[in-house]
Amino acid sequence: MHQGYSVNFIKSLIITSMFFLGCSASVTDNDPYTLYMHLSSDPGTLNPITSSEAITSTINENIYETLVDRDFDTLEIVPQLAVKWKISDDKLRYIFYLRKGVLWSDGVEFTADDVVYSYRVIKDPSTACAPLKVYYIDIRDVRKIDRYTVEFIYTKPYFLGLNYCGSMPIIPKHIFDDGTDFNTHKNNRHPVGTGAYIFKRWDTGKRIVLSANPRYRGKKPDIRNVVFKIVSEPSVALQMLKKGELDVMSVRPIEWVRQTNSESFIKNFYKLEYYIPNYSWIGWNSRTEYFKDKRVRKAMTHLINRDAIREKLLFGLGKLVTGTFYIYSRAYNPDIKSIEYDPEKAKRLLSEAGWRDTDGDGILDRNGKKFSFTFTIASEKKFSERLTSILKEDLARVGIEMNINRYEWAVFADRLHKRNFEAITLSWLLSYSDDPYQLWHSSQVDAGSNFCNFKNREADRIIEKARVEFNDRKRNKIYHRFGEILYDEQPYTFLFCSPSLVAVNKRFTNVKVHLRGLNYLEWMIRDKK
Amino acid sequence: MKKYLAKRILLIIPTFIGITLITYLMIRLAPGDYTSLKAGLQGEIKAGSISKTIFDQERKLYGLDKPIVVGYAEWLFNLVKLDFGKSRKDGRDVSSRISEALPITLTLNIITIFIVYIISIPLGIYSSVRRDSTFDRGTSLLLFILYSLPSFWVGLILVMFLSGEEFLNLFPLAGIISEGMENAGFFKKLVNMGWHLVLPVVTLTYGSFAFLARYTRANMLEVINQQYITTAKAKGLSEARIVIVHAFRNSLVPLVTLMATLLPGLLGGSVIVERIFSIPGMGFLTFEAILSRDIPVVMAVESIAALLTLVGILIADFAYALVDPRIRLESKI
Repeated sequence: MHQGYSVNFIKSLIITSMFFLGCSASVTDNDPYTLYMHLSSDPGTLNPITSSEAITSTINENIYETLVDRDFDTLEIVPQLAVKWKISDDKLRYIFYLRKGVLWSDGVEFTADDVVYSYRVIKDPSTACAPLKVYYIDIRDVRKIDRYTVEFIYTKPYFLGLNYCGSMPIIPKHIFDDGTDFNTHKNNRHPVGTGAYIFKRWDTGKRIVLSANPRYRGKKPDIRNVVFKIVSEPSVALQMLKKGELDVMSVRPIEWVRQTNSESFIKNFYKLEYYIPNYSWIGWNSRTEYFKDKRVRKAMTHLINRDAIREKLLFGLGKLVTGTFYIYSRAYNPDIKSIEYDPEKAKRLLSEAGWRDTDGDGILDRNGKKFSFTFTIASEKKFSERLTSILKEDLARVGIEMNINRYEWAVFADRLHKRNFEAITLSWLLSYSDDPYQLWHSSQVDAGSNFCNFKNREADRIIEKARVEFNDRKRNKIYHRFGEILYDEQPYTFLFCSPSLVAVNKRFTNVKVHLRGLNYLEWMIRDKK
Repeated sequence: MKKYLAKRILLIIPTFIGITLITYLMIRLAPGDYTSLKAGLQGEIKAGSISKTIFDQERKLYGLDKPIVVGYAEWLFNLVKLDFGKSRKDGRDVSSRISEALPITLTLNIITIFIVYIISIPLGIYSSVRRDSTFDRGTSLLLFILYSLPSFWVGLILVMFLSGEEFLNLFPLAGIISEGMENAGFFKKLVNMGWHLVLPVVTLTYGSFAFLARYTRANMLEVINQQYITTAKAKGLSEARIVIVHAFRNSLVPLVTLMATLLPGLLGGSVIVERIFSIPGMGFLTFEAILSRDIPVVMAVESIAALLTLVGILIADFAYALVDPRIRLESKI
């Protein structure tokens, strides 16, 4: 009797837990009006001024707006918080006429005071926003002309002035200017903006929830809530996507090619590919004896089989680049042909430069010094790891000895800034219109980002001239010449522009791929249950 | 006894200062600091040499311009006031970041340690009693196989096969509780959390059985060969009584040493498990803080761990006396 009771009790316990399991499974069922996005890590804050993380802007671009925006297809600068603007003839004054009646999500009106306040905060030495501050060094002042007009005053003309003024983050003065410390302000984790979505909730390390802004002036998006789920392991995130717990996710090339081609995946997901401005490169430090000579640098490019590397490491995805600009911008010179893979030519160039195997040990030498250099990589980067192991083998075949040194990112960056390396690989994330000054001007070889000691008189002149050339066509023309110089000098071996590979659940329609990427404000929900 | 206790507690203070000073030195002397890492390459790319002043300004904000000794003294002074400072990452109090991450890590660790002990110790005892039997050989083979499997691999395999959509879909993929269950009733919440914790706990435990089971077995074997066990057998005591009362109690002394590591062990989280199962615990918090040189967080976690270790050692010393009356505390100093 007693025995029977306990068995029954266990049975009922199992049944109840099954019931609860069933319950909990149904709780995770997605709300059709909610977009579930993947976020790979938890941002620290959502303050657009102090945070420099890319993931912060992924969220903030839904909440905060700037004076101007870029068209999704043409990349032209278009009005956002400013309806129009005027640039003075001396190119020093930018006057922005603000949109009237724009409300912050708490109901207070957006005015010129917010713009002036945001600028002052950025300039304030006690604000921890060094990466942002550097953009506004050349602005002398920002003045309020009236409630809906502001003026930015530059100390010298600069072709990216409109870009920098127009994309300055703007925060509500009435929220942040309350006498408490800006860097640790409570609203750094509770943003108030003017954008299409408002901040709802943040479960640290788990999810960030946004919902449609009822006060938003534009068309109301079909998607009522956006939930960013924080999942740091990409293969787990892919499983969540397949299970329907995520709607949007950036996938890696290997997943794009191997794990997202099943019939059911194609049936349920769009696979979208676009290119944002970026490129990877190998830099040859011309301070070293090996890479001082441009013939050697050219030979190195001839020795790197970039097509094969693209097949092996990026599964054929990505585009080969020949220069420093965004491949779809007009500044990029499309006439330059990529230097071909040609070990024989490389050998000739090396021998012209004096590198020959005179002692018959299989390694090239010059004046008794062997061609044996060290490639420095950041240990977290798998791409660098694989790339260098391929290089090592390829270079050994023509008699160049290459060693690989791996460092933690912080140490790697430190060595980079101290110019303590012989060869490195990295990738740059650029903007749509970029100024090559910091990467390539000879004034930047010691403290800027001209790590590889690139110095060329003509290039310097071009860069300086382009900075004050406001005519796009003229500027792009001289940038094309700059592309030719880079090609001739080969300070870098330019590698690839990597694609953004995104999978989106087909429960949304009107999902378009723009030059700038995806815009889920325009997405529609297919099946409104 | 009291004198001993007072002495030991007083000794904790200089030891603690020593440990934290070394930790502080290490993190300050490591290449890179929070500001330059945050700015990274992207910041300096835009303004080059001019930006140096700006970066120095920002380092000053975080006191990184001060000499290391001054920085440490300030940290220690604030610690006395129980102020761990604010995290660089999100500007919140370090204590609130820790109190957010700690409960889940504690839960996971307590469950894990409990399971490991409850399985390994009986297994070790049984193996020692049935020494060289098929059971002994079989379990030790199995435990060593488990021990040698890397947890990132096992964790992912479990996720792919038991939570994915292609094979079995038995467990949730991520997190510790379903969305919307936070406010459910206690029992419902408990079941839901338990359901989420199955795979993380399996991943955390499977590799730990081998060590403890073998350790218990070795200690037991040493005791079983003693003459008093033979005496007990000769007296005609039952095997259970011999093993549990006479042998096991005496094999406890080395096990007590392990207790010293138990307390700080509760605090540490596994970065791998937390990453695979998307659990925002102590492991990830610490790991991320170290990589980004978030000094206040690193110092807080390390000083708590140091304190717990010292207390753990102290407790272990007292426990020695408890399990073995021959050990006298006073004689040890």
